[in-house]
Amino acid sequence: MLKNNFRLGILFGIIAGLMTFIFGGWSVGIIGVLYGVGLGLALSGRLKREAPLNMARQALPLAATASAVLLVMSLLQNYVIAPAIGQSSAGSDIVIPANLAGILGGLLFTLITAALHGLPDRQEQIGKLILLAAIIVAFPFVDTFTGLFWLAQVIFALIFVILGMGLNIVVGYAGLLDLGYAAFFAIGAYTTGILSSPLHHIFLNFWLVIWIAAGMAAIFGLILGTPTLPLRGDYLAIVTLGFGEIIPVVFRNLIDVTIEEPFSCWIVPGIQRLFGGTSTLSCIYIAQHLNLTAGEQGINPIGRPSLPVLGLFTNAHPIPWYFLIIAIILMSIFLINRLRESRLGRAWMAIREDELAASQMGIDPVRTKLLAFAMGATFSGFAGAFYAAYISGIFPDVFDFSASILILCTVILGGIGNIYGVIVGGLVLINADRLFLPALKDFLTGLLKSTILPALAHNPTLQAAVAENANPILYRYLLFGLTLIIMMAVRPEGLIPNAQRRMELHEADEAPNVTATASTRN
Amino acid sequence: MSDQTKTVLRRTLIAFVALYIVFLVGPTAGFDVPAIAKQIQAGPIQLIQFLIVGISNGAILAIIALGYTMVYGIIELINFAHGDLYMWGVFSSLTILSLTGTLTTNNPTHLIWGIAVALVFAVVFCASVNVVIERLAYRHLRHSGRLAPLISAIGMSFTLENLGLIWAQQSWLVPSFGTTGGASQKDYPDLLSRLFQGLGYNVNLLASTGIGLRFTIKDLLVIVIAAVLMIGLRLFIQNTTLGKAMRATAQSHDAARMMGIDIDRVISATFLIGGGLAGAAGLMDGLYNGTAWWFMGFRVGLFAFTAAVLGGIGNITGAMAGGFIIGLMASFSDGYLNARWTEAWIFAVLVLILTLKPTGLFGEQVGEKA
Repeated sequence: MLKNNFRLGILFGIIAGLMTFIFGGWSVGIIGVLYGVGLGLALSGRLKREAPLNMARQALPLAATASAVLLVMSLLQNYVIAPAIGQSSAGSDIVIPANLAGILGGLLFTLITAALHGLPDRQEQIGKLILLAAIIVAFPFVDTFTGLFWLAQVIFALIFVILGMGLNIVVGYAGLLDLGYAAFFAIGAYTTGILSSPLHHIFLNFWLVIWIAAGMAAIFGLILGTPTLPLRGDYLAIVTLGFGEIIPVVFRNLIDVTIEEPFSCWIVPGIQRLFGGTSTLSCIYIAQHLNLTAGEQGINPIGRPSLPVLGLFTNAHPIPWYFLIIAIILMSIFLINRLRESRLGRAWMAIREDELAASQMGIDPVRTKLLAFAMGATFSGFAGAFYAAYISGIFPDVFDFSASILILCTVILGGIGNIYGVIVGGLVLINADRLFLPALKDFLTGLLKSTILPALAHNPTLQAAVAENANPILYRYLLFGLTLIIMMAVRPEGLIPNAQRRMELHEADEAPNVTATASTRN
Repeated sequence: MSDQTKTVLRRTLIAFVALYIVFLVGPTAGFDVPAIAKQIQAGPIQLIQFLIVGISNGAILAIIALGYTMVYGIIELINFAHGDLYMWGVFSSLTILSLTGTLTTNNPTHLIWGIAVALVFAVVFCASVNVVIERLAYRHLRHSGRLAPLISAIGMSFTLENLGLIWAQQSWLVPSFGTTGGASQKDYPDLLSRLFQGLGYNVNLLASTGIGLRFTIKDLLVIVIAAVLMIGLRLFIQNTTLGKAMRATAQSHDAARMMGIDIDRVISATFLIGGGLAGAAGLMDGLYNGTAWWFMGFRVGLFAFTAAVLGGIGNITGAMAGGFIIGLMASFSDGYLNARWTEAWIFAVLVLILTLKPTGLFGEQVGEKA
């Protein structure tokens, strides 16, 4: 038991240390705190429950091991790795405070989290919430102070967290596999773009537009949900995929919108001309050569939110954006949790388990499924509006199939049907994509330039091939694809699964469902 | 008024409203009836030209659609990776053509041998890759519901697609012809035209008629090869022991197993054949359309899947017919509507078919309808 725990501590230390290899500099401070909380959480389940102080004492040797490992690796990074990738070692003015913050933070937070487990359930929960809130509030300021500038990418990850939570309603709660979810994201973003940009000279306030965007997304959720009602399983997935493909094409090409009333414009005149008459009707035009979405050029710039004290939100100061999206996420978590426990939420889960039985129990499947699509779409409407305002520009390529799959990936990685799992999945996957891979790329580029390529100088072909392919950004979607395959093979219920779903999946392992394979085919 | 009359009236009303909406917003998406009528009046010969192009592209789509429909028929899985496998067929044949020096030669013998070797390699390569895919990503999920294998298939599609991107980046494998980087579209040299010009034939078989139509030797070859493959597959499924085993497995895994059929072997064989067809389609498409692009598999894969659904998924004859129909639709949409909207029109057809008639046009197959 104890030996296992030590192994855990060393593992956490090594993982955290490897992260400092990639990021370098001040990162050891933030990484230290984060791994401290993670280690504390991982530990608290394994240790015997005692008084808080005793819990802390139990965790101490382990936390110290992990911190020591981290310190060694961080110093190694600074004095061995950094020169090898062609960077100068950080001066002692950064190394000493950063490492101190990392070690002490890691130690302290491990102990606090472990100690919290010693408290009664209710107090433990409150304590964890306070700890989490403190980290969430402190993060942007620490980030700015240390000059790491992770915030802009973390905000992206948080946008995907909202998207994941919305998709989770459709896929996780109602059990309808939606492969075109990015379409609703696009609708939210384009609504914002059209209603507050110079393109049409409409400048509505962001605080109004975000609700309109959510409403539009919900309406399209209903519209696109209607044809899928009689379908199940993979056919439903394909229809949603079809919609998900049509919507970006539509936005890409709505640059010359001409809507003419067909009867007055050509059907009646055509018939008249056919019989030798002359046309008497005047054509009714609704729109002529209207550039609705600006096509490939995208809509740019888009209006941004402003608040009385903070003024207009800008790119230079990501902190207000960060708190705005945190607020949206908190609101979404609250709403989704209420929804899930409501009559509607229970109806979703009943439909997911067995549609026929559910409808026999008085649940209206049509209404339930449509509301699942509409509710799921609403949250992506929020995300779309925020995204459009944050980037201040939208382009159709962002919303294609790979975006839908990326969102699905976060849901599956985190755990289908569990909102907290989805949050973790989104944070892990999108940060890996936007923070870790670029940093890894810089790391590899530096390593190649300063160490590996000179060593390969005798073989120019190999040197060129290595230089060409050592770009992890190139492999990002490959990694997502592999994530899906591996998750399905190893842990289909996700990292933090929904308890009920895990039970179902493992039940299925023990007794393979014979009827699933022997259906009516010819 | 009887119920039946009411239903008919309601359906007529819905159809009318739908038609009105199509006419109202259609012109934006290229569906402008007066303009199309004018275009057809101006050049009726063009119509036949689009027909030829549509049939040739449809033949390639039909071969890819066969892979979707065979796999769906036997394990009820939409093998998302199949479109990307066809892309691998394009790249593997291009690689072989490049490595054998066929791309740069004008010598007819060399060209014939090079294309033959590339065909064999692409078929064998894609067939084995498809078997490996089934082994790695699908077999262990055969009993875990419907969504798990589908998600695994999507993951496999992404994996193949991005391995294709990396493949496209290797300039020593795939010549770049002026385009750099793996992400850009690459030329696939028009070897067939070169071959027949080298042999002294006119590439356009209808050149002597002087009516301004192009029916090239490429069109002929693509259609003939596709027809041979389809008839061969049909005979194989109808007459051989393995074909019979496939049909039995498609009806019921358990009953087939009780009759002594090795299910795993039969499913592997299905993937083998489907993969081989995708490889052949890859070479044909490369030679016919002249591009190689890492992302081409996604779009063509979805078109082929639409074709399979249109013909009634699981139904081999249906998939062939569906392929031709989708090929023609794409060609006419490119020509008369607007090439930028073709994708949207095809996917709209996919959505309509799945929602209105999931069994497809020729489907005796029971669909996924509740």
